[in-house]
Amino acid sequence: MTVLSALKTVNLTIDGREIIAHEGDTVLEAALTAGIDIPRLCHDPRLKPVGACRLCVVEIEGERGLLTSCTMEVAEGMVVATETDSLAAKRKTVLELILDDHRVTCPTCDKNGDCALMDYSYRYQADQFAFGGYKPGLVEPNFATGNKAIAFDPQLCITCGRCVRICDEVVMASALTFKMRASSVEVTTPFDMPLNETSCVLCGLCISTCPTGAMYDRAALGQGQIKDLEKVQTVCPYCGVGCTMELNVNRETNRIVRVTAPEGSVPNDGNLCVKGKFGFEYVHSAERLTTPLIKENGEFREATWDEALELAGRRLRELRDEHGPDSIAFLSSCRCTNEENYLMQKVARTAGATNNVDQCATTCHAPTVAGLASTFGSGAMTNSIDEIKDVDTLFIIGSNPTEAHPIIGLEMKKALKKGAKMVVCDPRKTWVAQHADIHIQHKPGTDNMLTNAMMRHILDEELHDPEFVESRCENFEAFRKNLQDFTVEEAAEVCDVPAELIRQAAEMYAKGDPSSIFYTLGITEHISGTENVQNLANLSMLTGQIGKRSSGVNPLRGQNNVQGGCDMGAMHGDFPGYQKVADEAVRFKFAEAWGVEIPTNKGGRVTDFIEQAGDGVLRGFYVFGEDPVLSEPNQSKVIASLENLEFLVCQEIFMSETAKLADVILPATSFAEKDGTFTNTERRVQRVRKAVDAPGQAKPDWEIICLMSTAMGHPMEYNDAGEIFDEMASLTPSYGGMSFDRIDEVGLQWPCPADDHPGTEFLHEGQFTHGLGIFKEIRFREADELPDDDYPYILSTGRTLYNYNIGNMTQKSDAIRQKQSKAFVEMHEVDAERLGVANGDLVKVATRRGEVTVKATVGERTRPGALWMPFHFVDQPTNRITNDAFDNITRTAEYKVCAAAVTKSE
Amino acid sequence: MDRALLEGDPHSVLEGMIISAYAIEATKGFIYVRAEYPIAVLHIRKAIDEAHERGLLGDNILGSGYSLDIEVREGAGAFVCGEETAMIASLEGERGMARPKPPYPAVRGYHGEPTIINNVETFANVPLIIEEGGAAFAESGTEGSKGTKIFALAGQVNNTGLVEVPMGATIREIVFGVGGGMPRNREFKAVQMGGPSGGCVPAAHLDLPIDYDSLKEVGAIMGSGGMIVMDNTTCIVDIARYFISFCAEESCGLCAPCRLGTVQLEETLNRITEGKGTLEDLDKLESLGEVVQQTSLCGLGQTAPNPVMSTLRHFRDEYLAHVVDKTCPAGVCTALLPVEATVGKEK
Amino acid sequence: MTAVDLGPAHAVLEDMAPVDHGHAIPLLQNIQESYGYLPREVLLELSSETGIPASHLFGLATFYAQFYLEEHGRHTVRVCRGTACHVRGRKIIQEAIDEELGIGPGETTEDRRFSLETVACVGTCFLAPVVMIDHDYFGNFDPKKVGEIIGGYE
Ligand SMILES: Cc1cc2nc3c(=O)[nH]c(=O)nc-3n(C[C@H](O)[C@H](O)[C@H](O)COP(=O)(O)O)c2cc1C
Ligand code: SF4
Ligand code: SF4
Ligand code: SF4
Ligand code: SF4
Ligand code: FES
Ligand code: FES
Repeated sequence: MTVLSALKTVNLTIDGREIIAHEGDTVLEAALTAGIDIPRLCHDPRLKPVGACRLCVVEIEGERGLLTSCTMEVAEGMVVATETDSLAAKRKTVLELILDDHRVTCPTCDKNGDCALMDYSYRYQADQFAFGGYKPGLVEPNFATGNKAIAFDPQLCITCGRCVRICDEVVMASALTFKMRASSVEVTTPFDMPLNETSCVLCGLCISTCPTGAMYDRAALGQGQIKDLEKVQTVCPYCGVGCTMELNVNRETNRIVRVTAPEGSVPNDGNLCVKGKFGFEYVHSAERLTTPLIKENGEFREATWDEALELAGRRLRELRDEHGPDSIAFLSSCRCTNEENYLMQKVARTAGATNNVDQCATTCHAPTVAGLASTFGSGAMTNSIDEIKDVDTLFIIGSNPTEAHPIIGLEMKKALKKGAKMVVCDPRKTWVAQHADIHIQHKPGTDNMLTNAMMRHILDEELHDPEFVESRCENFEAFRKNLQDFTVEEAAEVCDVPAELIRQAAEMYAKGDPSSIFYTLGITEHISGTENVQNLANLSMLTGQIGKRSSGVNPLRGQNNVQGGCDMGAMHGDFPGYQKVADEAVRFKFAEAWGVEIPTNKGGRVTDFIEQAGDGVLRGFYVFGEDPVLSEPNQSKVIASLENLEFLVCQEIFMSETAKLADVILPATSFAEKDGTFTNTERRVQRVRKAVDAPGQAKPDWEIICLMSTAMGHPMEYNDAGEIFDEMASLTPSYGGMSFDRIDEVGLQWPCPADDHPGTEFLHEGQFTHGLGIFKEIRFREADELPDDDYPYILSTGRTLYNYNIGNMTQKSDAIRQKQSKAFVEMHEVDAERLGVANGDLVKVATRRGEVTVKATVGERTRPGALWMPFHFVDQPTNRITNDAFDNITRTAEYKVCAAAVTKSE
Repeated sequence: MDRALLEGDPHSVLEGMIISAYAIEATKGFIYVRAEYPIAVLHIRKAIDEAHERGLLGDNILGSGYSLDIEVREGAGAFVCGEETAMIASLEGERGMARPKPPYPAVRGYHGEPTIINNVETFANVPLIIEEGGAAFAESGTEGSKGTKIFALAGQVNNTGLVEVPMGATIREIVFGVGGGMPRNREFKAVQMGGPSGGCVPAAHLDLPIDYDSLKEVGAIMGSGGMIVMDNTTCIVDIARYFISFCAEESCGLCAPCRLGTVQLEETLNRITEGKGTLEDLDKLESLGEVVQQTSLCGLGQTAPNPVMSTLRHFRDEYLAHVVDKTCPAGVCTALLPVEATVGKEK
Repeated sequence: MTAVDLGPAHAVLEDMAPVDHGHAIPLLQNIQESYGYLPREVLLELSSETGIPASHLFGLATFYAQFYLEEHGRHTVRVCRGTACHVRGRKIIQEAIDEELGIGPGETTEDRRFSLETVACVGTCFLAPVVMIDHDYFGNFDPKKVGEIIGGYE
C-alpha cells in the first residue's frame, strides 16, 4: 500500500495530449493507458523491455535521435510525438526488412486474425518484396518437431525474443535460448534437444507471447484461423487457482480449437499452465457419455432420460422412506459449478431429507476448513494471489506450488525476482525447495514437531509480536505452556534435520516484512491434518504475520471449485456460507426459503459413506462428478463397499471406475458446455460460460439435479444458472452482494455482503472473523503407519504438474500423454543402488493393502528411505496401496504417510 | 594501440583506473581484453598482482579505507562486446547483446549499479592529468579536442606503426610525414579512420586537422584510432562492402534494423561489385543506411552504415563507374574486369 | 561415441568455486582450455552443478566465436580479416592457406591437426597481413611460405 501511494505522478505531452503517468512508467505504458497505440513487436507487459524490434520508436523533444518508447521512462514535461511521417517511413522500412526475413503465408496461416506483424504491415503498407522477398530454404526438423503441444515454424519467426525471455524471466524454466548471432540468430533449445527433453514445462507461455504464428498450438494447426474463431471467456476446470481463460471455438465444427488467456487476466496475468493450456481435449473425447445408461443383468444398456430419471429418483426415495435419512447419501462435485453444488446440497436436504451430503474436500482440504475456522473463524486462503509478489519471506510447507498451483508458482517467482526470501519445508526437493534460501527436508509426518520447535525458538528469542498476541488473540498462556515440552534439538532429531536450519527458518519467517505461509496437502493429508493447520495458524498469530496485505495463512486449494463446493454447503454440518445446520435460526431460514422441513440427522463425510456402505447402513448413493474408487484410499475396500450398495447412481461425463459399479448413469456436461460460477482458492467467484454444445443427450448438471429432485418427488426448476446463483446469494451473507452482472469480467472475492461492497482482498484485518484468534495447544502425534522391517519405506503420494487427479481429463490430451502417461515411483539413489534398481526399471511397490508395479525414477528428489508416487494413473492406481487411516476431526485420509516395501520387478 | 598500451605500460592504465574508481567510489573494476591479445592479458594480470603486492589494490588501499578489486576478463570473440552495454551483458555472463540506453551505464550498469566504461588510452591519460594538471594536458591539441592521440597507421603506406601526435595534426602530416608516403609512389586515395564503423576520408581532405569535430564533419570518427591508408589499387565499393559485411557478421542480432539491414546493405553492395547494380540501388543504400543508423539499438548498428554512407558521399563517381559503366576503376572487382585482365590475374 | 571424462570439468569447477551466473564465460573458457572444445555432456554437467541453465550455456557457446562445440584441431590457424590486412592482400593469403590445409575457415583437418579460422584485427596492423597460429604471430605474411610455416606445427 505504501508503495502504491508513494508513486509520484508525472505530466507529459504525447501527440499533443496532456497525460498524467506514474513515475517509472515507460512512454509506451503511458501512451497505451491514454489510448494511444504505438506499434510494437517485441513488447509484452509481462517482460522486461529490451528494445529489439525498434518499431515503437518515437520522437522526443530535446533528445538526440529516435528513442524506443518501450524502454524510455517518462519525465516531467516530456513532449513526445508517436506518429509522424518520418516515423512512419522508418517503421515501414523496418517492417519491410522483417517481412523479407519472414515467410508471408497469411492466407494459410493460423495466426491470421491476431497477428501483430500482419496488422502493422497493413497499417504502414509495408511491401514484402521491398528487399526481394523471403527465399524459403530447406525446412529442417527443429526442437518442436514431433512435439504434440507446441509447433515452431522458424520461417515465421521474427526473432523478437519474446518466447526466450518469457521462458526465462516469467516461467524460469529457461528451456529456450537464442543460438548463434547476427542474421543467424535462431530460437532453439540447448543443443537443439527435443522440447520434451528439456526443462520445458509445456506452459505455452511462449505461444502466448509470440507476435506471429511461429509458436503455435500444434493441435490447433489447420483447425481454423484465429479470425474465424470465437473466444469465450471462462475459468479453467483444473486447479484452484482459477485462471481466466478463453476457449477459442470454431463454430463450424462446434469444437474448441485452442485455449488462450487474455492479457492482464485475473488472477493469472495472461498466463496458463500445461493443464489449462493443453488439457481441454477431453471435452471432445469420443469416450464421453452421451446417453443415460441403465444396468440390467450386469450390463449397461442405453436408456431414455425419462426411464433413467424415473428409476433413479424412485429407488433413492424408496430407500430413504424405508430406512431413514442415513440410508442415502449425496456426493457433490468440486469440479462442477457453485450453482450445481448449491443444488446438490439443496436436493439432499429437500428431496433427500438428509444431511448426508459431502464433496471431495474431505479428501484434501477439510482440515483447512476445520483448522482455520477453529482458530480464525474462516476456513479459506487469507490473502489474494496478486499479493504474493509483494511477500518478503515466503514460508512454504507441504506444498509444491510450481507443479500443483503453477500460476501461484509464477507469482512466487515474481516475488523471488523482487528479492523475496524463501523457506521451504518439504520432504522432497521440489522446484521451490531447490530455489529456497532454507530447505528443511523433514521426515514425512513430523510437521507439528517442526512447527512447535520453530515457535519455541521464536518465543525464546523474543521474535514474536507480543502486541498482536495481546490485542488480537486468546488462549496464549496455555499455548505457551504446551510449547515448553518441545525443543529445537528434539525436533531436529524427530524430523531428521539440522537444528540450526530450524532456528534459521524460524527467524527468517518471524523477521519477514511481511511473511506469508503457503501450504497444501502435505499439511492436511495426515491423521493430524487439522492440528497441522491449527499449528500454522498459531505460527502466524504468534508473529503477527496475519491480517495484512501479503501476509497470512494460505491454503492453496486443489480442485477448481473445491472452495466453492465448501462455500455452497455441500457438507453435512453446513449450509451455504458455512451457516451451521446445528443452528436453529439458520435451519428456520432455509426451511422458510425452501418450503420444507430441514432434516436434523448429523450426516457424514464421504469416507463415512464408504464405510457405511460396507456395513450395509448406507443403501442408496448419488455420486456426481467424483470417482471415489480411484480417489479414496485402500481401493479394494472401497470397491467392496460400493458393491454392497443397493442402488448407485452416477452423474458423469466418462465411464469412471465408480460409474462402472452404478445402476444408473446420467450423462453430464463438462465446464465448457454450461454456465455458472466457480470460486477459486482466493475466494474469487468467477463466471464459467458455455462455449460449445454438449455431446449427444448430455445435459448441464444443474438441469439433471433438478430433474432428479423432481423424480424424487420434490419438483425443482430454474430457467438458468443465474437464477440459481441469485437464490443462493440471497441466502448466503458472504455472497450476498454478488450477481452474474457484477462478476462478469474479473469476479469478486467473498466476503461481499452488499451490492456496493467491493469484495475482500485479504481476511482478518483489524480482527478475526470470530473476534479474537484462538491459540491451540498442539501435541505431536506420529503417523498412523510407520516403517518397519517388512515395509521399511515411507510412501507419500501427490500431484504432478502434468496431470490432474485420476487423469481422466488430462490423459485425453495428446500433448500431456506425450509428456507423462505412466505411473512412477520416485526413490533416492542410495536406496536404488542398494536394491539394484536403475532409473527407469520396473519396481513393485507393496503395502499391507496391495501392490502396484511402476517405473522407478531414481534421483535425489526424495529423502533416503522415502518414496513418492503420483496418483493420476488408472492402470496402476496408487490408492490401491495407500492407508485408510483418517484425520481425527475431518476424516481426511493420511495419503502422505504409509509404510511400503520396494522390490525390483523381473 | 590499446594493445600496445596494455602490453607496454599496463601500470599507467591501472593507475588511471584506480584513480577513476576512487573518484566515483567504485569497488569493483574490470579490464576487458580480447583473448587474441595473450601478451596484453599476461602483462596486465602481472601488473595487477604487483599492484596488490604494493597495497595499491585490494582491501584498504594505502590505509585510505578505500577498497578496489580489478578483474581481467578475456573477451570470447565478439566485436560488439566493445559496446558498453553489450560488454556489461558479457561481464554478467550473458550473450553479448546490447541493452537500450537510457538508462545509461553511468546510472544503471553492471548488475544495475552505476558503471563507467572507458577506453584504456583514456585511463592511461588520467595519471598524467592528475600529476601535471588539466592545463598541461590541454596545452597540446585543439579547441575541442585536447591532448595527444595515438594512431595506428597501417595499410598502403611506407612506415606503419603507432604514432602519437597532438590533436589537430593533419592527415597529410601523418601519412606523408610520419608515414613516409605511399609505397612505389602510388596515388593516395583515402584514409579509413575509426575502425569498421568509421568513414573514408578522401584526398581532398588531406589537410584536414584531425580532431573529434572535424572528423565528424567529413563522416568519419576517431574511434579506435585506426588509420588505414589506401591507394588507387583499392576499390572503394569493395572496401564499403568489406566493412558492412564485417558489421553484419558481428551484429549481436538483437535488433531488427541492424540484424537485417546490414545484410541488405551487404547484398546490395555485392550486387554492385558483381556488375548487377542499378542506380536505384544507390538510393536504396542511402535510404536504408539512414534507417539503420537512426533506428538501431546500439553503436554497432548506428554506425555500421558509416563506411557506405561516407564513401557514397566522397566517391560517388566510383560507385557510378560500377553501376553505370560496369567497370571497377581500381581493378579489384573480378566480375567487372575486362576478360583478358581476369585471365591474366589467374594463377 | 565414447563417454566424455567429467573429471577435468569438476576440477575446473572446484578451482573456480563458487561459480555463479556471472562467471559463465570464464567457466566456458576454462573448460575449453582443458577439453579443447565444449563437449555437450560437460555443458549439461556444468548446468546441473552450477544451476546455470543449459540453455544459457548453449546460448553463450554459440554466440561467442571463441567457443567450439565440436572437437577442434590441435593447432588453430587464424587469418586476420581486419582492415589493414584486408587492404594488404589477406584474400591471397586466405586462398593459399585454404589450399595448403585443404579446408575452409571454420573447418578442421581430418587428422585434427589444424583448425582454420578468420579473426578480427589482431592489433598488429603495422605487420599486415597477419596470420596467427596458436599464440604465435606471423607478420608481413608471405603466401609462398605457407607450407614452410605450417610445417612447423605438429
Ligand atoms: C561496436 C562497438 C565496438 C567497440 N569496441 C571498442 C573497443 O574494442 N575498445 C574500446 O576501448 N572501445 C570500444 N567501443 C567504444 C566503447 O563502447 C566506449 O564507448 C569507449 O570505450 C568509451 O571510452 P572513452 O570514452 O574513454 O573513449 C566500441 C563501441 C562500439 C559501438
Ligand atoms: S505470422 Fe502473421 S504475417 Fe506471418 S504469415 Fe502468419 S498471419 Fe501472416
Ligand atoms: S512451453 Fe513454457 S516452459 Fe516450455 S518453452 Fe514455452 S515458455 Fe518455456
Ligand atoms: S518464436 Fe515468436 S516469440 Fe519467439 S522469437 Fe520467434 S517471433 Fe518472437
Ligand atoms: S490448472 Fe490451475 S494453474 Fe493451471 S491453468 Fe488451470 S487454474 Fe491455472
Ligand atoms: S516494442 Fe519497443 S523495441 Fe520492440
Ligand atoms: S587488420 Fe590485421 S592486424 Fe589489424
